[in-house]
Amino acid sequence: MEQTENLSVQTTKVQNPRLRMLKTMLERLWQNKLAVFGGVVTFLLIFTALFATWLAPHDPTEQNYSAVLQAPSSEYWFGTDNLGRDIFSRVIYGAQVSLQAGLISVGIALIIGVPIGLISGYYRGFIDEYIIMRMTDAMLSIPALVLALALAAVLGAGLTNAMIAIGLVLTPNFVRLIRGEVLAHREKEYVEAGKASGISDFSIILKHILPNTIAPIMVQATLAIAAAIIVEASLSYLGLGTQPPNPSWGSMLATGQGYLDSAPWIALFPGALIFITVISINLFGDGIRDMLDPKMK
Amino acid sequence: MDDRMYSKKLLTTLLLTLLIVLAACGGGGQDSESAGGEDEAEDLTNNDAEDTLVVGLDDDPPLLDPHLSTAQVESQIFKANYETLINVDENLDPIPGLAKDWDVSEDGLTYTFYLQEGVTFHDGADFNAEAVKYNFERILDEDLGSPNASDLRLIEEMSVEDEYTFVVELEETFAPFLSGLSHRAGQIVSPKAAEDEEIDLSNEPVGTGPFQFVDRTAQSHLEFERFDDYWGESPDYKYLEYHAFSNEDTRITNLVSGDLDIVNRIAHKDIEQLEENPEINMSEEDGIGFQGLMLNTDREPFDNQKVRQAMNYAVDRDAITEVVFHNGAEPAVSPFAPSSWANNPDLEVPDREVEKAQELLEESGVEDLSFTLTVSPSPAEQQLSEMLKSMLDDVGFEVEIEQVEFGAILDRMYEGDYDVARLGWSGRVDPDGNAYSWFHTDETYNFTGSSNEQLDELLVDARTTVDQNERQEMYRQAAEILWDEAPYIFLYHENDYKPMKDNVQGFNHVPDGLIRPADLTLE
Repeated sequence: MEQTENLSVQTTKVQNPRLRMLKTMLERLWQNKLAVFGGVVTFLLIFTALFATWLAPHDPTEQNYSAVLQAPSSEYWFGTDNLGRDIFSRVIYGAQVSLQAGLISVGIALIIGVPIGLISGYYRGFIDEYIIMRMTDAMLSIPALVLALALAAVLGAGLTNAMIAIGLVLTPNFVRLIRGEVLAHREKEYVEAGKASGISDFSIILKHILPNTIAPIMVQATLAIAAAIIVEASLSYLGLGTQPPNPSWGSMLATGQGYLDSAPWIALFPGALIFITVISINLFGDGIRDMLDPKMK
Repeated sequence: MDDRMYSKKLLTTLLLTLLIVLAACGGGGQDSESAGGEDEAEDLTNNDAEDTLVVGLDDDPPLLDPHLSTAQVESQIFKANYETLINVDENLDPIPGLAKDWDVSEDGLTYTFYLQEGVTFHDGADFNAEAVKYNFERILDEDLGSPNASDLRLIEEMSVEDEYTFVVELEETFAPFLSGLSHRAGQIVSPKAAEDEEIDLSNEPVGTGPFQFVDRTAQSHLEFERFDDYWGESPDYKYLEYHAFSNEDTRITNLVSGDLDIVNRIAHKDIEQLEENPEINMSEEDGIGFQGLMLNTDREPFDNQKVRQAMNYAVDRDAITEVVFHNGAEPAVSPFAPSSWANNPDLEVPDREVEKAQELLEESGVEDLSFTLTVSPSPAEQQLSEMLKSMLDDVGFEVEIEQVEFGAILDRMYEGDYDVARLGWSGRVDPDGNAYSWFHTDETYNFTGSSNEQLDELLVDARTTVDQNERQEMYRQAAEILWDEAPYIFLYHENDYKPMKDNVQGFNHVPDGLIRPADLTLE
């Protein structure tokens, strides 16, 4: 009895093409050591951000005037800043801010970008060609950081507004990507078949075309999260993002700039974390792309 | 955008971040490169280095016409090529300037100035009593709109007695009159140049000072040259340059690297670093200004006196001077610095008293204690505002910090559109300059909207009394009323720091904070 069950499980594994594909993909991902490294670090960061309250040894906003500008020690692992706050705890809470900024702003970009891209690509026509595409061209022609700066300045300083600004700036990338995918799919037989059997456009777009564009969206979204983290750090560095006393890697870097000679650890740790986070997410994103690419061997 | 291109861009950005981090690691020592960018692209000194003194300023001076000037940084420049009728020494006592002597009549209404002879302006015109009269008339001319006219407004009559004797009659006694003449209202411009329509004094100053103006590159630097016909002692070096660096770190890096000889202002966080540097000499002097929080008493919750008083006890002044100013400031409880004769020694700096503050808040009965604290965006201001937030939140306030450019803060002040603002005063030689226009009802800088009859009376009496002992008593009383009324939370008196290279000698630290370049010598 036991033996038969084991056998049957094995047969399903081999026989189910979907599972087989997943297995090859995971194997492909596993072989990409950099992507695995990126994934592990990203996972660790998410873990840190989620459990910041338990992991941080000090309150990130608590000021200790008798421990100002202290070098890293056993009490303060990453040293203290110019208000005697524990940099290690601030960096941990900063991870929360950064990941939140990355995820929410990309979320905003997806919510706006995906429907526009789907509709624009599926129906084409005047609005697609002359309005939506030209608008995305215009937005893409402005450097992302400059556009985000302008938007954040108009909306007003603060993390929420910064996330909205970053989300809007990232949107045209998604519109273009999805529109391109849809253009390719709308000519395919399965779409024509759907149309011929009288399925509504809405169902075709949502149930048939959208699932086929998920893979590139996932890749793009992962990479966009990394970009969003950098832009949020830049905005906070310039005073337009996270407002004091809340910790953000960008604003910590700005504080540290004035102490590069006397207390380099203030800038060093948030700077290093921006670097590690962004490169890890990028490596992981690249790995996912390679994994999903059927042409890759 | 192609995914690969996209990630390439990201990698570039990442590498840049890494570079910043690496720059952070490699800090320290003389060889460290400056963090600033465009400022030091060009070689600072264009002239012969042996014969040139370069001063680093914290900002580019907008207006070089002393009669139109309002910015502190402009006064630095005026010490090069203008002179005042009266000068002040290290104790802020009046000493001769372009007036070699003066008499004040017993009723305090008539001032007779005996002027220096043999003084010429840089454009060749002669300096005499007519020139002084022309200057006073220019400042008082409403078409010019001089912001410094208030120093001369009480002049009833002026007359030229002879070529070098000038007499002024005042409508009523005005104690700060002479100290006003040691500042902008006493700067003498060339009447010939002022009349010449082709000369714009705001850009090409013409005075009698030891250095004459050569050239100016806006937002970058100003060049001066020794004036050969100067009546006083000729300066030790030929060329004088002023370079503006608004970024405090860039300014200090340029001093340490040797591109600047002396700097007019530093961030207090750099005090230790500069004092330890064997090639830098640092001069320190008590400041004459005051800094603190301006409360909008027309708004809730600051229309309630108890709430304002609670703030006085909620802040920890010692912690502020220690953490933000590295002990380069004195805790403040009044507009008069401890070194001023007007200071009230009975008013002691209180310890932080959380319970007392909480009691006062409870007595006030005010429930909504939330407000916005408006500060300018400098690193030190941000650090200070975060400390204040932490201290005030602790006793029950709810502080939101808002960063606004300094100019915009001033606009908001004039409109009365603020809750609490971080705004202070660089200070004046006479205590009247620290009190009257700030705390008298409806005066120029009384943005608090507060009004106290007794205080008004004292401030008016103090400026129209000549006897210093009587005035001292009045200012002491005024300081007590201000502490009790608390329209303004005095926090600290900033000390003045002037770091210079060790080959710069002869620096005379006057508490007005102005560098007098003709005093300096280069070894």
